Amino acid sequence: MDHDMVRYLAKLAKLSFTDEELEQAVSDMTSIIEIMDTIKEIDITYDPLKDNHNVYLKDLRKDEAKPSLPTEKLLQNAVQSENCFVVPKVVE
Amino acid sequence: MDITSLTIKEMRSKLDSREISSPELTKAYIDRIKAVDGSVESYITVTEEGAMAAAEAAQKKIDAGEATALCGIPLAIKDNICTDGVKTTCASKMLENFIPPYNATVMEKLEAENIVMLGKTSMDEFAMGGSTQTSAFKKTKNPYDTSRVPGGSSGGSAAAVGADLCAAALGSDTGGSIRQPSSFCGVTGLKPTYGRVSRYGLVAFASSLDQIGPIARSAEDCGIILNTIAGYDPHDGTVSKNPVDDYTSKIGMDMKGVKIAIPAEFYAEGIDDVVKKTVLAAADKYKTMGAELVECSMPSLKYAVAAYYLISSAEASSNLSRYDGIKYGHRSDITGNYNELITASRSEGFGDEVKRRILLGNYALCSGYYDAYYGKAMALKQKIREEYNEIFGKCDMILTPTAPTVAYGVNENISDPKKMYQADICTVTVNIASLPAISTTCGYDEKGMPIGMSLIGRMWDEASIIGAADAFEKNFDRIAAKI
Repeated sequence: MDHDMVRYLAKLAKLSFTDEELEQAVSDMTSIIEIMDTIKEIDITYDPLKDNHNVYLKDLRKDEAKPSLPTEKLLQNAVQSENCFVVPKVVE
Repeated sequence: MDITSLTIKEMRSKLDSREISSPELTKAYIDRIKAVDGSVESYITVTEEGAMAAAEAAQKKIDAGEATALCGIPLAIKDNICTDGVKTTCASKMLENFIPPYNATVMEKLEAENIVMLGKTSMDEFAMGGSTQTSAFKKTKNPYDTSRVPGGSSGGSAAAVGADLCAAALGSDTGGSIRQPSSFCGVTGLKPTYGRVSRYGLVAFASSLDQIGPIARSAEDCGIILNTIAGYDPHDGTVSKNPVDDYTSKIGMDMKGVKIAIPAEFYAEGIDDVVKKTVLAAADKYKTMGAELVECSMPSLKYAVAAYYLISSAEASSNLSRYDGIKYGHRSDITGNYNELITASRSEGFGDEVKRRILLGNYALCSGYYDAYYGKAMALKQKIREEYNEIFGKCDMILTPTAPTVAYGVNENISDPKKMYQADICTVTVNIASLPAISTTCGYDEKGMPIGMSLIGRMWDEASIIGAADAFEKNFDRIAAKI
């Protein structure tokens, strides 16, 4: 696990690290990947046909509109709101 | 006996006979929280006013002769279970001010029974950890020794039960987060079968593994709570439509002829001698009750921690992508474009362990690494399930230690994620295989710290492991924490 890989993963995750944090993250991730690498020694393959036998599509509930929560309740946790969620300008 | 240390069953009888009232019981807990929780730090939020009002309402039901099993019983709720109008922080700066606009289904079910919610308990941030030391707010301590951790991630719930700061509590278990803290805090914790309890309103960590369950002072109390919270929910497509059992139906069960599997790998290197000896002594006790012990093997156990962390982190990295600081959660003051705002909000809001899990999850799912990590972990999931099926072909339940050690010091292991992850070896396969398991205390080490054992059952057979744990508890002298 090198610095470039951690920077790439952080970018995918929308996380930013200071130089010091990046050093620590590289060291931690290197150590964690050592544990993960143990699974490389076992030779098995995932068989998708063995899974999800208990998912019955015929049991799905009807697609019916139900009352939704009031707007003010949905906005109560937004730090910035004006009867809608406020985001930085994305179109010039 | 102090009323705060009674079991739910004992409280029910005293409430129904009017020996005590729900407001009296609730007040006793609130007073004890004020006196003791400064050193345990199990609660993030105490809802004193709401609790007293709920207790008055419950008492009216009791007086009218309409009380059901949990009516008027004071419970604590892990802070990742949404409570309408009551802050639900997940012990994260990201959700420091989050007030859910709705109740989790388990809360609806508990409120329909007129429980008294005392407050919300601390946990590892977003349930990621085994010590409750990654909490951004309350780094809970063990009630048996406050210089040690309570375990985690449901450490606040387990410590609150162990310190008599609630009658029982709800926790959640993704890789051992109910059972391991129950073991460390000398109480009983049940992780139900995946799909037995609705996850609607449980803040998602790893959706294919997460399950809500009870932590209490006895196996029977766990069964009483499960009776209320189990069952179908149209809001969660992964909840089973299987009928809900009476999970106390096997209380008092005869252990004669019950086949208990002892998988060798769970008693191998890496498990402390005192833990091994104590759990094997418990196995012998079951033998004297008439159970048959069967030696068996789970060869894939050595890969289980890796498989668990790859699957859970992959799911976490996806689940936690919802935190953008816009709709809810921490929003950075840093101004910039849309991406800069999200990146700053997430970087400021999440703690180090959560960030590590997100990075690991992204790595496991990355193009070029997917087959080697996530694909292999999913293959191991199938193999571990097959190995469990094989054991259950010959046995009724499986007995293992709940954790490799007793509770450790608050400053140990925290800076070594590798060591922390490996400590989950005894619990993660249960989540991977969707099975139910219960942890109860089976002894104490030379310093008086509790040692837990786990009974793992077949899917949907919570009643048998609750019955077997109860059979042990009835022949065991529990030593309460002296706090």
